[in-house]
Amino acid sequence: MSKLGVFDLSVRYGKLTAVNDISFSVAEGERVFISGPNGAGKSSLLAAIAGEVRAAHGRIEMDGDILSGRVPEAIARRGLSMVPEGRRIFRALTVQENLMVGVGLRRDKTAVPDDLEAIYAAFPILGTRRHANAGALSGGQQQMLAIGRALMTNPKLMLVDEPSLGLAPRVVDEVYDRLCSLQAQRGLTLVIVEQSSARAGRVGGRMLLLRGGRIVADGDATAFAADDLLKEAYFGEATP
Amino acid sequence: MTLQLLFDALSLGGIYAIAALGIALIFGVMKLVNFAHGQFIAFAVFALIVPSTDAVAVMGLGAAPALVLVPAILAVGAGLAVASEYLVFRPLRNASPVALMVASFALGVVIQNGLLVAYGGRPKAISLWPELGKPVALLGAEVPMLQIIVIVSVLVVLALLAVMLKRSRIGLEMRAAAEDFGMARLLGVRANAVIAGAFALSGALAATVALVLVAQTGVADVRMGGQIMLVAFIATVVGGMGSLPGAVAAGFALGAASVALQAALPIEARPFRDAFLYGLVILVLLLRPQGLFAAASAKPRV
Repeated sequence: MSKLGVFDLSVRYGKLTAVNDISFSVAEGERVFISGPNGAGKSSLLAAIAGEVRAAHGRIEMDGDILSGRVPEAIARRGLSMVPEGRRIFRALTVQENLMVGVGLRRDKTAVPDDLEAIYAAFPILGTRRHANAGALSGGQQQMLAIGRALMTNPKLMLVDEPSLGLAPRVVDEVYDRLCSLQAQRGLTLVIVEQSSARAGRVGGRMLLLRGGRIVADGDATAFAADDLLKEAYFGEATP
Repeated sequence: MTLQLLFDALSLGGIYAIAALGIALIFGVMKLVNFAHGQFIAFAVFALIVPSTDAVAVMGLGAAPALVLVPAILAVGAGLAVASEYLVFRPLRNASPVALMVASFALGVVIQNGLLVAYGGRPKAISLWPELGKPVALLGAEVPMLQIIVIVSVLVVLALLAVMLKRSRIGLEMRAAAEDFGMARLLGVRANAVIAGAFALSGALAATVALVLVAQTGVADVRMGGQIMLVAFIATVVGGMGSLPGAVAAGFALGAASVALQAALPIEARPFRDAFLYGLVILVLLLRPQGLFAAASAKPRV
């Protein structure tokens, strides 16, 4: 059984169709990049999976349990966590408070202190600044906080939307290094929206290429990175 | 004389602060300006007396000892607020803020008319804890016992609320939801629980104001929530919408300004005290349109 199954999913905003009849599945422990040009429907797809946006039609399943039609908090409680676009950290809360917001859904409350220390071990800067206001962190630190905050819910599946947005390339490398090692440690399943297919190719994994709300290619990210398919997806058919 | 003014300012400002907090809490989590808050206060006042349209009020719950009466009235306020949320605001959860605001006006009218039907329109004299009116000597001034109790209670309520918001799980969830409700839900925070919690707290704060008003004025009047709601709403705007410390600070500032103007204005200008007060409010808003304490989340970061 696949971890995540998306069947004939469409998302519409009024007359605009952002996601058009998409189907795919993600296996347990897999790392899947969703790439494509602006407006391809990447973020809408993630938002629909997390329950932030209601699908116009289609079905979403995780571990055979139907997610579509449920409210976001119910989906989070089934083990799906989101690192959203723009990070959306709680700026007026301290770093540690940010990390603690998502533990309310956990049944294994006794494991929370150890998990908190594990996050601080993975992101030492968060530990140093645990009592600082989250709004005072740099962009890269906020990205790490958003990842740590999602991990504190102890998810089985994590959706990460544009983790490299607005960060210096060196910081992006660091974010991906941490994400990959955390995935290996925890056996997480990761679905990552990454605008830069070159970046996805370097990190490695499977890649779904979106364009105009549809999946136009599905394969190995590293092999894709150099492929013509990409140029076509981004720039349309080459004109002579 | 000056000490008396200080006590007046603290007790009046404290009431404004508690009322403003009741509005700011709900605005914080669901961007609703609840104009029915004044009627929540009036409802809690009338819950003290036996429903009847007679001119003379008969104490019902109001006759109970304070240890029973205070928690019971707080529960009445919280219960009314939670019921309002469930019956009126929950079905409108995805409506526009304007629709929510209009609904809150409508709810206020319904509650007020319900009180009119049950209790009649004439103000009633009720005497709650009359022994507290006695003055006590304090630092060389004669201060009514009641005023000291009001000030202490306000400070206790503020401290309890601060601890609850800072230390409890629901408090953390409320603060997170106030900043970004969608994100809090993505982290498993239950929208219904947080909103119901905010309404319950707001209703209990309305009931606190009700007890203080009744003890101070000795009157139950169907319209009594309206005036304080107006001042409290202004305090939340001056404080910065959504900022709880701002609401408290602005509540105290408005109370202090009222008392100071009352004392400082020449006799013939005193009837126009509120015009001066609101003139000050306009001045503050011209200088700081975002309020004295804009919520930290509202500041952009590059």
